[in-house]
Amino acid sequence: MVQRISLAHGEGGELTHQLIQNVFIKSFGHPEHAQLDSAIVTCPTQTIAVSTDSYVVKPIFFPGGNIGKLAITGTVNDLAVSGAIPQVITAAFIIEEGFQLNELKKVVESMAAEAEIAKVKIIAGDTKVVEKGSVDRLFINTTGIGEIRQEHRINPGAIQKGDCVIVSGTVGDHGIAILSARHEHGLFTDVESDCASLNHLIQELLEEIDGIRIMRDPTRGGLATTLVELCEDFHFTVELDEVSIPVRRDVQGACDILGFDPLFLANEGKVVMIVDSKNAHKVLAKMKGNVLGENATIIGHIASSDEQTGKLLLKTAMGTSRRLHRLAGMLLPRIC
Amino acid sequence: MHKALKIMVTGRIQGVGFRPFVYSLSKKYGLTGTVQNNIGCVIIVVEGNEKKVADMVNELQMSPPPLSKINQITMNQIPLNGYQEFSIISSQISSNSIPWMSPDAAICKDCLEELMDPNNRRFQYPFINCTQCGPRYTIIDSLPYDRPNTTMREFEMCQQCREEYEDPMNRRHHAQPICCPVCGPIVTLHNQQGESLAEQQLAVLQTVDLIKQGKIIAIKGIGGYHLACDAYQASVIDRLRLAKKRPQRPLAIMVKSLDVAKKLCYMSTKEVKMLTSSEMPIVVLTRLKDCLLPENLSPGLSTLGIMLPYTPLHHMLFEKTGLECMVMTSANSSGLPIQYKNDSVHALQDMCDYFLTHNREIHFPVDDSVVQYTGEDMLYLRRARGFVPDPLKTNAKVDGIIALGGNQKSTFAVGKEQYIVMSPHIGDLENEEMIHSFEEQLHHFKDWLSVEEQYIAVDKHPLYASNSLAKRMKSIVIPIQHHHAHQVSCMEDNGLEEPCLGIILDGTGYGDDGHIWGFEFLYGNGHSFERLAHLQYTPLPGGEKAVEEPWRNAVGMLLYLWPEEGKELSLKLFPEKSKEINMMESMVINQINSPMAGTCGRLFDAISAILGVCVTSTYEGEAAIKLSDPMNGLHMESDETYPFQLQTNSENLLQLDLSPMIYQIIQDRFHKQPITQIIQTFHRTIVSSCVQTVQKLVEKRPELNKTVVLSGGSFQNVYLVREIQKLLQKEGFTVYTHKNVPCHDGGLSFGQIIIASHAVNKVPLDSK
Ligand SMILES: [Fe+3]
Ligand SMILES: [Mg+2]
Ligand SMILES: [Zn+2]
Ligand SMILES: [Zn+2]
Repeated sequence: MVQRISLAHGEGGELTHQLIQNVFIKSFGHPEHAQLDSAIVTCPTQTIAVSTDSYVVKPIFFPGGNIGKLAITGTVNDLAVSGAIPQVITAAFIIEEGFQLNELKKVVESMAAEAEIAKVKIIAGDTKVVEKGSVDRLFINTTGIGEIRQEHRINPGAIQKGDCVIVSGTVGDHGIAILSARHEHGLFTDVESDCASLNHLIQELLEEIDGIRIMRDPTRGGLATTLVELCEDFHFTVELDEVSIPVRRDVQGACDILGFDPLFLANEGKVVMIVDSKNAHKVLAKMKGNVLGENATIIGHIASSDEQTGKLLLKTAMGTSRRLHRLAGMLLPRIC
Repeated sequence: MHKALKIMVTGRIQGVGFRPFVYSLSKKYGLTGTVQNNIGCVIIVVEGNEKKVADMVNELQMSPPPLSKINQITMNQIPLNGYQEFSIISSQISSNSIPWMSPDAAICKDCLEELMDPNNRRFQYPFINCTQCGPRYTIIDSLPYDRPNTTMREFEMCQQCREEYEDPMNRRHHAQPICCPVCGPIVTLHNQQGESLAEQQLAVLQTVDLIKQGKIIAIKGIGGYHLACDAYQASVIDRLRLAKKRPQRPLAIMVKSLDVAKKLCYMSTKEVKMLTSSEMPIVVLTRLKDCLLPENLSPGLSTLGIMLPYTPLHHMLFEKTGLECMVMTSANSSGLPIQYKNDSVHALQDMCDYFLTHNREIHFPVDDSVVQYTGEDMLYLRRARGFVPDPLKTNAKVDGIIALGGNQKSTFAVGKEQYIVMSPHIGDLENEEMIHSFEEQLHHFKDWLSVEEQYIAVDKHPLYASNSLAKRMKSIVIPIQHHHAHQVSCMEDNGLEEPCLGIILDGTGYGDDGHIWGFEFLYGNGHSFERLAHLQYTPLPGGEKAVEEPWRNAVGMLLYLWPEEGKELSLKLFPEKSKEINMMESMVINQINSPMAGTCGRLFDAISAILGVCVTSTYEGEAAIKLSDPMNGLHMESDETYPFQLQTNSENLLQLDLSPMIYQIIQDRFHKQPITQIIQTFHRTIVSSCVQTVQKLVEKRPELNKTVVLSGGSFQNVYLVREIQKLLQKEGFTVYTHKNVPCHDGGLSFGQIIIASHAVNKVPLDSK
């Protein structure tokens, strides 16, 4: 018989205790924290970074990962691109009544495995079970705390004309993988999600190379939306070279059919950086030495800084330049 | 009896020889007085014999200089002053009238004669012009129209030119671009390295040789560069297409003379008249059966865009050189603005072999205009050189309003007092270069019209480039529904103000319900509108991609309309797309990037794909244009139509369901019915469905005004506009089509500015 989560698992009684012991502590370890109402941690530095995110991905299992792995990589990466070294993570689960216990175990185990890879400890958690229909199967929230080392401070203020824009690999993989997984019947491709923790790669770069001005993980809204936000927030204009942007062939193929632009599709294991042009090739070489950055490419440059309103421009293969805006809520055709 | 009159004339009266004309009239009738130019207005004072004064006024009104356009004449009797002679007094700048800037005009008969006369001092001089011809709009940077305000300021007039310029009886009196071989600009032939190979007449002759050798030459004209090559050599045309990244779209040709044109195409009297007018646009004509020009000039079409030589330089290229037809296409890579600046040479290097250029600077670019006749009526396919910037008079209060038009074939409209001044066709605002060109031209218009806008009218589509442009302009933005703008554009074009019906057949426009509209039956006017009927929605899988790939439209319709059978039909029609069709099924079912649309343009696309006429398009409208080509000059034998249905939906809207037609067309195709016959029946069905819808609407609502306007891009289809008009008239409707602005998105700004004027001047209900 399939074991399912019932409302009783969330009532705080014996069933809850069993769930915590058999599923969470078994996977995450650190039983010492479970004895108190809070997890007590010691911070090696005065300055810390905190990041929180909720994960509601649908479907919860997809090629290349699941909601649990994503809940770790997502928060780890948010900390890492802020220049922090992720240390600890908390996790809260909202589970729909009737969710299969073994699926929950699978999710939790992959969280533990990913935490192991990223070298972060999962130190506190919470579980709620809600009535059928209140959530779609399983939602997870994670909060991460990272350590900021003075010497690793990124420096957006130094951004200047000529700086390079580097992306650590192909764009759009996660977006297409999720779409394909969601609609198995018309299976678009067998692309896997790129979801991965980038903290080690980023940390190495920060330790060894100067001139990294700023970085972001281009998740929701894709590379384009992320860069538009940077351009506007820091008042510079980026010119991207369309042909140089790495896109997997199958992702491009799927995009061609769907009418999507890979620049606007989510990534979960990519970082985009603005780097002093003098150090760009060092960064590139270092990235390429890591399996997570093997397709790293310089995709553009800062065309001007000190703009009233920064812009993201795309030099197209046709030789025209197109201004890119944030991902629009809908993709309505403009051609009359 | 002596009498004195003060006559004020407004209209296109500057730089068209109006003052010398008045001067010579005064001499002819022996009258005294003055004539003076103000911005946009000429003030004449005449004194003399009452009968002679009347005669002069009569001639002034009946036969003014050919290039002038009198908009309004007001006359007042004034006390006699006792002038001894008639004199021209210097211009005065006053701003109580609209500054009227003249369009560029084709070389006139007199100048052409001089150009070819070995005894004339301007013999074979490529910049000959006079008050009746030559560049205007493209060389003027500000008003009043005087030489220092044109790019001709660089050239100092020689003694002889100055004398002609100052002589009120000379036909070059105040011809601002006046010049001659001694003092004026020169043409030069360059190679790609920028080395000058020849000048003036020699450069022209060498250019002709190069063209005959199959070379592509960038030729600087009035409003920008053209790319020219021999229109008889298919191989160089292929090379030009490659260079321009324009595989299929028709290329315009320039032919030596009307006689040559007659050997290539059918021409009606009206078409001949338009070809030879001072505007000299490209006229789309039907090829003769035995026309020898290569097919790749206009692949898949039976028409050709033809124009006559309109500058002295063009004439020199043809005169006694043996050259008869040249491709003359605007020099730009597909989707980019026309090149017109001196440094264009760099941008054009990869597109041509040589340059025939000159040192008279073009201040503002303008494309060639394109028109087509539906029989008696003319359609503007592109309103530009020759027509722009003539203002259009209106009753609406448009002063201080600017309308930014659509996203494609874009134009803007500027409101100045009782006039609307439309920009030339600018192009598709798909890239920063085009948006920049649009902004530059907008600033230029605001400048010379001295308009500071208070209101900006834009399309409601949130993703149109004009939307972000409007935000940056920091005035009050008035969003306007796309098809409402089309309807009001046609109403204003015909001076209609009372609410009426509109059949808007269009590509895609943003609808008020968030879906894509484009097959609309509206009722209203500039104040407001009601949507009464429309085509049933079907999905566009891939959004914009579905517009570029008409087969997607077809598949979207089939999968949606026949969930059981649609996929099988799709696979049978497009076997090479099986992978895509599988994915598309999922897209349609799960509504992934598949906006719902009911548009005429997309319907034509789908049918074009279903019939295998055009499966993927390489230029805007290709599928529809190729689909309707067989209707061109076709004699109709039957009046058979395909089945369709009209239903009232839940919102009490009449919904046109053409799915029975689509199904039958597919069956006919599978049963190998002749394609032309299917196309004819399809066209008849569209006409008949429109007429029946309108009839049903007035049955339901007998109070509706039985006047119908036809607008939207699909009315570039000559058959549709003619037949719908004819049939509706037969049913007792009064039908109007466009006159002065295009029916496609190039006319949107014209409708938008009127709608905005209603919004601005609306009396709030509670203030009463
Ligand atoms: Fe339209
Ligand atoms: Mg995040
Ligand atoms: Zn002339
Ligand atoms: Zn001269």
